[in-house]
Amino acid sequence: MINDRKLLLAVKDLKTYFFTEDGIVKAVDGVDFEVYQGETLGIVGESACGKSVTAFSIMRLLDYPGKTVGGEVIFKGESLLKKTEDGMRRIRGKEIAMIFQEPMTALNPVLTVGFQISEALMTHFKIGKKEALKKSIELLKKVGIPIPEQRVNEYPHQLSGGMRQRAMIAMAMSCDPSLLIADEPTTALDVTIQAQILDLMRSLLQEFNGSLIMITHDLGVIAEIADSIAVMYAGKVVEYADKKTIFHSPLHPYTFGLLTSIPRLDVEMKKLNVIPGTVPNPLHFPTGCKFNPRCRFTTNKCREEEPPLIKIEEGHLVRCWNVDKVVKEVKKGLLVGV
Amino acid sequence: MNRTLRKLFSNATSLIGIILLILFVVVAIFAPIIAPPLSDDPYQVPRMSWDVNPQPPGSPMSDEIRDIYDFMGKEIKYDIAICGTAEGGYDIFYGLIWGTRTAFKIGIITVLIAAFIGIFIGSISAYFGGWIDEILMRITDIFLSFPFLVAAMVLTTVLGRGLDKVMVALIVFGWMGYARVIRGNILSAKEETYVMAAKALGVNDGKIIWKHLLPNTIFPVLVQASMNIGSMVITAAALSFLGVGAPVGYADWGQMVSFARNWIIGAPGHAGQYWYTVFYPGIFIVLFVLAWNLVGDTLRDILDPRLRGEL
Repeated sequence: MINDRKLLLAVKDLKTYFFTEDGIVKAVDGVDFEVYQGETLGIVGESACGKSVTAFSIMRLLDYPGKTVGGEVIFKGESLLKKTEDGMRRIRGKEIAMIFQEPMTALNPVLTVGFQISEALMTHFKIGKKEALKKSIELLKKVGIPIPEQRVNEYPHQLSGGMRQRAMIAMAMSCDPSLLIADEPTTALDVTIQAQILDLMRSLLQEFNGSLIMITHDLGVIAEIADSIAVMYAGKVVEYADKKTIFHSPLHPYTFGLLTSIPRLDVEMKKLNVIPGTVPNPLHFPTGCKFNPRCRFTTNKCREEEPPLIKIEEGHLVRCWNVDKVVKEVKKGLLVGV
Repeated sequence: MNRTLRKLFSNATSLIGIILLILFVVVAIFAPIIAPPLSDDPYQVPRMSWDVNPQPPGSPMSDEIRDIYDFMGKEIKYDIAICGTAEGGYDIFYGLIWGTRTAFKIGIITVLIAAFIGIFIGSISAYFGGWIDEILMRITDIFLSFPFLVAAMVLTTVLGRGLDKVMVALIVFGWMGYARVIRGNILSAKEETYVMAAKALGVNDGKIIWKHLLPNTIFPVLVQASMNIGSMVITAAALSFLGVGAPVGYADWGQMVSFARNWIIGAPGHAGQYWYTVFYPGIFIVLFVLAWNLVGDTLRDILDPRLRGEL
């Protein structure tokens, strides 16, 4: 598997800023990762760390005042940032599709489910209305919606939350995209439905060897589905490695903090670990490493100089000056046994 | 939709509006039967006499006119001025019946075209934003800064007399309200996730506006349009009254009122002697506008999202 991995998407030093009246908000400021064919990349991070903006930047869906000011997005050998708007439109939906967080608002309330699925099909393939509707019924059946012949003519408000998300998946999968970006697809659903949706996405992707970028703040979801993981903090990727490495031997204090904050059943815990402090205001980031005010291992160097993304070993990148200190902590065995 | 219809028919005021509208539609459709045209152009109001003074309701056709029709070999299909005649012997009843068609024509065509222009400009402006929005909205502001009636009057005068010119003038100065309403609605609707989702599927901008945004934002415009049909007719009537509207003798309510201009106060010692010259056309205009306003009001109540839940 290691040798015949095919690179599908490479994001290099992506920078997306929002030019607001209060100043420049560096929502995404140095994001690097790679997605291989048939694999799943998990992007983890707390709210407002730039996960969704990264996704929108890849799709080039950001409007003013958001603007991608630097970096590269290479998809199948082509730079997406250099494509024309028309060329980009041909890629959206067909090559790269997206699933949104809230299935309630991501479906248009005044259009039938069938219409919304057919629309994608009719946009990218030369097929008629009837044929598109027939394919929509098949897709709905595939994502496990009962009585699809009837559901296809129903409006979003007639479906339950889980069914709406299934319909969203059917929409996104309608043109067999090679890359699916799922922006917290399970956050708005209850836990049993979450598991079903994750299973569904995994099985659909396996079917045509598609790749997935799973954006979430839920480490449980990531552990379930991801092959490699990019941990984001304050608009930057702070650690990037495969799943096993991230969960067993994290090197960034933030990753370490996240992992130790997971409630455990196997160890007696009086109090849940927390990372002290809050995410800094993006208009007033601290100097040096952006995590330094909340970090246990902060040194003067952290406050003065921002660490670059350091390659520790093949496929393991970390943005931290004090990797050795974290290693010592990890060895104490506080992590969840994954 | 069923609920909308049910509500439309269960409310007393809206029912009055609808009944009035249906009556007007019936009158417009059966105009050739109710008031058979005497000449080749049915919109030309026939004259019952050459008399300058208006004749009271029930007066018969004068002999001179009768002779002319006989001479031309035309059949005289009716010869009594049921509602009297206006200045110059124009038959008021005929003018009102055929004027109903004119009113519908003016109201519906001007509102349809004005709403279309407004929706087009408003939606493009809101959807694309930035300098496009800035330019289009400033143009809208410029048009809004003219007083509607005066602007329409000046434009009609410049273009020349005629109903088509009146309609052009009404459209040119009548689209701004729609543009503003639709712009505001699309500005809020375009932030919805479903728009982003449609974009993420590669749907083009035109389709997003047409298929996704307009169905979600068009209802307030429909309400505004239905109410505007009445006011467009009033303005057209005002233009005709001021003498820049329909050509003399054209079947148009405003024209009918304009014929009454010199006779409204009646003759010395006989105040209100010529009441019929202004009463009948006036009542038609009032009822027509009232009908559209009642229907528009009910539509607004039905489509108001704040009230929707209670229905």
